[in-house]
Amino acid sequence: MNDDRVKELLRAAIPPAGDAELKRDLWPDVRRRLDERTLRVSAYDWVLIAAVLASMMLFPQAALTLLYHL
Amino acid sequence: MRESLMPLTFAPVSRTTSSSPSRLERFAAGDIAAFESLFREFQSQIYRCIVLIVRDRGLAEDLTVEAFWRIYRFRARFDPTGNFSAWARRIACNLAIDALKRQRPEMALLVEPSAEPAADPAVSRETREKIARAFRELPAKLRAAATLALIEEQQYQEIAAALGISVNGVKSRVFRAVRILRKKLQRMGLEP
Repeated sequence: MNDDRVKELLRAAIPPAGDAELKRDLWPDVRRRLDERTLRVSAYDWVLIAAVLASMMLFPQAALTLLYHL
Repeated sequence: MRESLMPLTFAPVSRTTSSSPSRLERFAAGDIAAFESLFREFQSQIYRCIVLIVRDRGLAEDLTVEAFWRIYRFRARFDPTGNFSAWARRIACNLAIDALKRQRPEMALLVEPSAEPAADPAVSRETREKIARAFRELPAKLRAAATLALIEEQQYQEIAAALGISVNGVKSRVFRAVRILRKKLQRMGLEP
């Protein structure tokens, strides 16, 4: 089997996409995605939250101090 | 302030069709109106670039959104004197190749075939399915290059620009794809 025959068989099995035009406007989806990412809590913030929760579990008496400062 | 917390300002969009340097500069500086203008000009091109590789309209729409999100996120890396279309297509093609890596070989190709009849009507349906499956088992990078070169018959130079590799790189990927495919077809007992 030569390369040309492989190409022929491939094109017979998987025809070109033809009309592969975009059917709708994707801008609203992109806007939504940008807004989601804008409001996302960063990894640094999650680490900070986890550290506060861990310290409250290890030192429950520190919770009062934390509440005082909030 | 961190980038993720920067407020987005949505100013009216200018509907120009040319990629003027000022628009690209404004985009690189984070102007959302300039980004929307670029999006409107290039969304179809980026979608087509993706759908030709992944051959699934729904997935291609999702990846187009993801591509433009990345384009906006990495705007600082874009040189405003450069070619936005080529840069955006490279991001889109890389996303499409990553999606191919996640696809299972048994997944069908969902894009409707063109109106043209198949090149060889003598090839049976079962044989075509076997060939399509063998093709889907190819490594994603080879499959993307082979799809664009052999099925969509795009120019090597165009494919090279889209994939961000050299023309020789494209030729090499296509050659390797055909070689692997030929071996697979021979193992399946598909001889002309």
